[in-house]
Amino acid sequence: MDPAEAVFDVAACLERVRQNDQASARALVEHLYPMVIRIVRSHLPRRVAEEDLAQDIFLKMFTRLEQYQGAVPFPHWVSRIAVTTCIDQLRAQKRRPEFRWADLSENEAKVLDAVMTDERDPRPGDALAAHELVHKLLGQLKSDDQLVIRLLDLEQKTIAEISALTGWNQTLVKVRAFRARRKLQKLFQELQSKEHA
Amino acid sequence: MNHPHSPWQKLTALARQAPDERSAAAPYGFATRVVARVASQPALSPGAVFERFALRGLMIAVAFGVAAIAFNYSTLTAEPADDYASADPVAELLELS
Repeated sequence: MDPAEAVFDVAACLERVRQNDQASARALVEHLYPMVIRIVRSHLPRRVAEEDLAQDIFLKMFTRLEQYQGAVPFPHWVSRIAVTTCIDQLRAQKRRPEFRWADLSENEAKVLDAVMTDERDPRPGDALAAHELVHKLLGQLKSDDQLVIRLLDLEQKTIAEISALTGWNQTLVKVRAFRARRKLQKLFQELQSKEHA
Repeated sequence: MNHPHSPWQKLTALARQAPDERSAAAPYGFATRVVARVASQPALSPGAVFERFALRGLMIAVAFGVAAIAFNYSTLTAEPADDYASADPVAELLELS
């Protein structure tokens, strides 16, 4: 653990924030910012500036501070606000137009070809292209399904963790994951058929 | 699809290796801006509280109104009793004549 994080007393800071201590409020924001920005970056809806979304999350955090009862650790409570804010933003945006092979960059096309055909193993240098490709493919899913797959396959969270973060029950998380994977499978099949057409 | 050798799983495994070199520290002045915005937000006025609950109250009132009309429909549409006729001395006189 980062030594700075180890000495940061969240409970004491919260107490001071509740007494309208602005310096403590700023310290709390700075302490939680790395966690919040990591969540925002992994779910960032298109055309939304990450700083604006992070600001919305912190505003919600302060507005709802009276509702925090201490049942869960404070950063966990804030991460749930962050995830639900991202869900709202994802729902507000329209899905991307149809995904086409022609829209891919040269690197992305090579990576996609490699994972679909097994003719060559992807190289570590392909990671950035794969990352972009994953986000393009996820853009084809419904917002809630996107979120589940991001948490499950990219952040490797468990069903229970996703349930705790989103507030959805575990069965719903599994159903969304199943539906999203089926849709992705269909997308791969369509891409494969178009590529060979 | 969640088979480790499926294209999607191979792609996500590769995507997880992508380095994220962006700074995770709050930009300069970010915390100050957030706290200033929080401080500038007006406290919830009685008017705002009224606005928040007025629509809900209106919907409940409409529901009660509709229920009251439905419950009393038979009474409202029934033939009114001819109380005036018997209480009208002129009518009584005409009937007698």
